[in-house]
Amino acid sequence: MIATIRAEWRKSRFRPAFLIGTGLLGALTVLAYGVNWYLAHHPGSAERPVSILSLYPDQFVATVLGAGFPLGAAMAIVVGAIYAGSEFGWGTLKTMFTQRPGRLTVWAGRMTVFAAWMLIMTLVLFAIGAASSVVVATFESHVITWPAAIDVAKGIGAIWLIFTVNGAIGMALGVLIKQPAAALGVGLVYLLSVEIIAVRFVDALNNGAYKWIGNLFVNQNASALLQSFTPARNASAISAEQAVIVLAAYGIGLVVIAAGLLRLRDVT
Amino acid sequence: MENTTVVETHSLTKRYGSGVLAVDSVDMSVQRGEVYGFLGPNGAGKTTTLRMLVGLIRPTSGTATVAGQAPGHPNGLKRIGSLIESPGFYPYLSGRENLRVVADLAGVNQRRVDEVLDVVELGTRAHRKFGTYSTGMKQRLGVAAALLKDPDLLILDEPTNGLDPQGMAEMRKLIKDIGQGDRTVLLSSHLLGEVEQICDRVGVISNGKLVKQSTVQELLGEEGVLVRAQPIDQANEILSRMFGADAITRQDGALHLKTRPAQSMEINRQLVAAGIGVSELRPFERSLEEVFFQLTGEKQGS
Repeated sequence: MIATIRAEWRKSRFRPAFLIGTGLLGALTVLAYGVNWYLAHHPGSAERPVSILSLYPDQFVATVLGAGFPLGAAMAIVVGAIYAGSEFGWGTLKTMFTQRPGRLTVWAGRMTVFAAWMLIMTLVLFAIGAASSVVVATFESHVITWPAAIDVAKGIGAIWLIFTVNGAIGMALGVLIKQPAAALGVGLVYLLSVEIIAVRFVDALNNGAYKWIGNLFVNQNASALLQSFTPARNASAISAEQAVIVLAAYGIGLVVIAAGLLRLRDVT
Repeated sequence: MENTTVVETHSLTKRYGSGVLAVDSVDMSVQRGEVYGFLGPNGAGKTTTLRMLVGLIRPTSGTATVAGQAPGHPNGLKRIGSLIESPGFYPYLSGRENLRVVADLAGVNQRRVDEVLDVVELGTRAHRKFGTYSTGMKQRLGVAAALLKDPDLLILDEPTNGLDPQGMAEMRKLIKDIGQGDRTVLLSSHLLGEVEQICDRVGVISNGKLVKQSTVQELLGEEGVLVRAQPIDQANEILSRMFGADAITRQDGALHLKTRPAQSMEINRQLVAAGIGVSELRPFERSLEEVFFQLTGEKQGS
């Protein structure tokens, strides 16, 4: 298992999909801070003007969470689909499966490294968010105070969980469809439209009698988890604890389904 | 390896979901230390059979034992090096980095990477990205990866595919070299000359069925002498007296004798002494190509 993780890390550390995905997420975080900073000083006729206070270091966790979802989740789907799907096109799956480790060991190693990459993406997101908030505070001559370490840790944990689960969606689709382009397309369409439409439909049925079904969709729980960090605005019927359990169940379920497909299907 | 049989299959069959019968009840055996040629036209079932042997696809029925284990078993895989169809590597990594990934997976010391790069003569170009490699370099890297484990059994699927004549000659020499000693090589090919030059034994597969398995010599048949003479009936009578009627077959207006070519001088002397005109007298040996077309039912030149 250790050897498999080492091999996965060796091939993934310079993988363009991870490097570009992480870099892009960091750049978008900087952009979000820059645009919000501008809007805070030039509110125009905006219905919900941006408060400069939300851009200071003591609020950076909430701001970063906003950048992490759904944008970061979409990035995780793309990276996951490329990570799993391109192995089929390159023929590298057969190279891996004809070495010593069994298929499930190889898959476990892949998931471990993927989860590590999602953590790296999360840490980069938080580091750039923190740095951006310091830049804003410095230019605004505002005193720099940081949120409690436990809140930062919880935020990192929440975003990492959301990235990993959405990445698992991309990976499972990559394994199912056996190629990256269609997998990431299907994943993004699900994230950005199918789930939203489905939840609205289910919620509208029989005066909301089936709302509980809507509350089981993956990114409803991701939203609820992030809303729990801003209790004043928290209107979700899903508790943070339930959201964590549902997201973890999705992550484990997707990984197990993909493992089953890899184990049982022929590699042609 | 204790057992001398390295690869053994019994009624190995693969039928795809579409109903296509790719491999049909193949019984093959490969012995330790030999270079075994798996010969067949394109689409005959060679690659499907090899994929089953390394555990990439599951047989519909039948069994196989490879390096003493069921196909795909980790204990078997650690003794098998394989290159199935085109080499599968990461295009954004260098040749050397790709081999390091494979070495990690195979549990092989990283020092072995440079050793196998030297064997395939890629050492000076190993820093280049795999995506920039020529077909020949990719094939060489594939062979290097297959050699990483210093395997008892090497399975190579059409290793000269896409190579130019010089590359093919170099690859053939390389395979001959690495097939020395106790190592077993199972080589699939549709190139008859390649198999004839490299292999000790061959299995011929056609339409999914193994139609022949023997040594190359057995496949080509016994040596003989071809005689073209007039009148041919009289020549046949004389030669029957000399070698027996069973030793002679008549084909395309010539007589094929199962005898050593060294007898040619005596044959000529007897026929001329009997007043028979001899227009052609030469050693006769069937080419692997003739045998192949006869076994597979393919038409020459088609």
